[in-house]
Amino acid sequence: MEIPIELKQIIAFTKRDFYSWTTYKTVVITQIINVFIGVFSWGVTATYVNKPVSQMYGTGTNYISFLIVGIAIGNLIMPLVQGVHSQLNPWTIETILMTGVSTPVFVIGNVMWTYIFSTVTFIPYLLIGIYVFHVSLNANIVSVIIAFAISAGILVGLAMLSTGLMIVTKSMDPITWVINVLSNIFAGVSFPVIYLDTIFFPGVSTISWFLPQTWVYHLCRLSMLTNPSLLDLQVLIEFLKGSVFAVILLPLGYKVFRWGVARSKREGTLGWY
Amino acid sequence: MDFAIETVDLVKRYPTTARRGRGDHFHLGPARIGRVESFTGMLKIIKGIKGPFIEALRGVNIKIKKGEIFGVLGPNGAGKTTLIKILCTLVIHDEGEAYVNGFDVKKEPNQVLKNLQAVLPESRGFNWRLTGRQNLEFYALLYGLNEKDAKERIDYLLNFTGLTDRADDFYQRYSTGMQRKLLLCRSLLRNTPILLFDEPTVGLDPTSAAEFRDLLHKKLAHEEKKTILLSTHNLFEAQNICNRIAILDRGKITACDTPNNIRYLMFDERVFNIAFIDAVYDGEQRKMINELEEIGGVHGVTPEIDPDGNFHELSIRIDKNMDLTSILEIVMKSGLKIRTINTKEPTLEDAFMAITRQHVEPQQDFEGFRQR
Repeated sequence: MEIPIELKQIIAFTKRDFYSWTTYKTVVITQIINVFIGVFSWGVTATYVNKPVSQMYGTGTNYISFLIVGIAIGNLIMPLVQGVHSQLNPWTIETILMTGVSTPVFVIGNVMWTYIFSTVTFIPYLLIGIYVFHVSLNANIVSVIIAFAISAGILVGLAMLSTGLMIVTKSMDPITWVINVLSNIFAGVSFPVIYLDTIFFPGVSTISWFLPQTWVYHLCRLSMLTNPSLLDLQVLIEFLKGSVFAVILLPLGYKVFRWGVARSKREGTLGWY
Repeated sequence: MDFAIETVDLVKRYPTTARRGRGDHFHLGPARIGRVESFTGMLKIIKGIKGPFIEALRGVNIKIKKGEIFGVLGPNGAGKTTLIKILCTLVIHDEGEAYVNGFDVKKEPNQVLKNLQAVLPESRGFNWRLTGRQNLEFYALLYGLNEKDAKERIDYLLNFTGLTDRADDFYQRYSTGMQRKLLLCRSLLRNTPILLFDEPTVGLDPTSAAEFRDLLHKKLAHEEKKTILLSTHNLFEAQNICNRIAILDRGKITACDTPNNIRYLMFDERVFNIAFIDAVYDGEQRKMINELEEIGGVHGVTPEIDPDGNFHELSIRIDKNMDLTSILEIVMKSGLKIRTINTKEPTLEDAFMAITRQHVEPQQDFEGFRQR
């Protein structure tokens, strides 16, 4: 069976980025070392803090599992947002657009290698977490796959949104900058979001649930730590809430990206940065 | 007749922060930033329609025949790159129409890109950490070639441009000339019938530039029968390889013809020089000069005589299409021995300078737009 051309084009982007990455030998070594250093430093910290997470994820898990899974998810999925940015420069965007590739191929192609690399480094994170820090995973494979798919949808949507704005503004776009700054505080990377009510004031954690990144962490943790079944109505509702973000952000990001390219073409600034 | 490229009253305006024009070079539109008169007005500002602008192209009409090498000449800021970027769908025009092999560049960009590729030096798009071959393989897949066809095409193109020996070197090790050739390989991957080149020999040493011109002229145009649109500052290049030339000045085509015709476009006369051996200027020669001046089409005759009375040369200003026989008959009759005969033709550079300097901007163009 003939492979669709779109898939071949995404593979071409991935191969290009992989070949390019392998030529930076120092970067390759330091990135691998960083995986180990990262997980050890967070793991050691978590051993001492060990806050309970039972309120959000039940009694079957603990803070070290919550944290290390969160860090691993952060490393797995967050590069999706940066992947397209890193490829945007005046020397490539005009040339690539002149090949006639579609917007989804352009975006997915440019993040694919980053995502594959993140997936590879995800495994040592979990292995070190399990064997050194006794992380207890309680994953439901179907839920994990769906959670990752929803997360990828949310983040690719954000990536397209951000890229579309960057093509016009030629610098950091204000919308994703605000989302990222808020996420650092409210998305619950290193603590359950309901603790925000304790740290700040009651009800402040509500903000978290309007941030797309919160849902990325929440759904992935839910699926990896609590063995959730999608037949359970409460779990299903959580997944549906998360997918609302993906359903909104994917077409919105696509539209904004197309708008950004079209506007730059009208203004003649596509190749400017 | 079907044209490879056709533009009809093509207009392109760029937004600018400048509020007033600088000299004749800029056409500025109404400055409306900060004034929102209605909701639709606000939408127009968001869309980038209103606000001060520069007119880069002001009603450009060109028709390029299939298989032709067509040159666009113009000073900096004349709109050459804008025209090329519109044709390769990287810039969207504001008014008028542009067609590539009959496909509308605004409405059918994907079809246009299947018929045309461009070599834009500023948008290399190559990965410095990949080899020349790997870079081409990447683009071949983006163009939709299957692996077998891609490999054959890449091998052919590397051989065609003489890069086979260095194909597996990292791109960062390529000289400027080799980088330009790799750009050419990429633009030929899809084997489109039309190629656009924006300043293809800028930055190349004279040998590489001549090699590149040969590649365009002999191999692409003659062997592969491609239609080529070439934008250049290099008048020598344009005169030698283009079938026709358009001079683009301040966004308008001010002349469009063969290089030879353009050379005479601004000049009604040429100079005919005759050098003599051992001639002395006397009454006989004066009589000859009087006879020459009486011929229809002769505008002036100037003898070159040194202080000792030696008659070295005669310069005769004549109509550009004049038959020289009557002049030669009179000179031969005088019995003078002739050393050399030549005509001094106006060069393309003379014509280019004359055309681009004579143009005065009519103010009503801008006023007219403002009222629309």
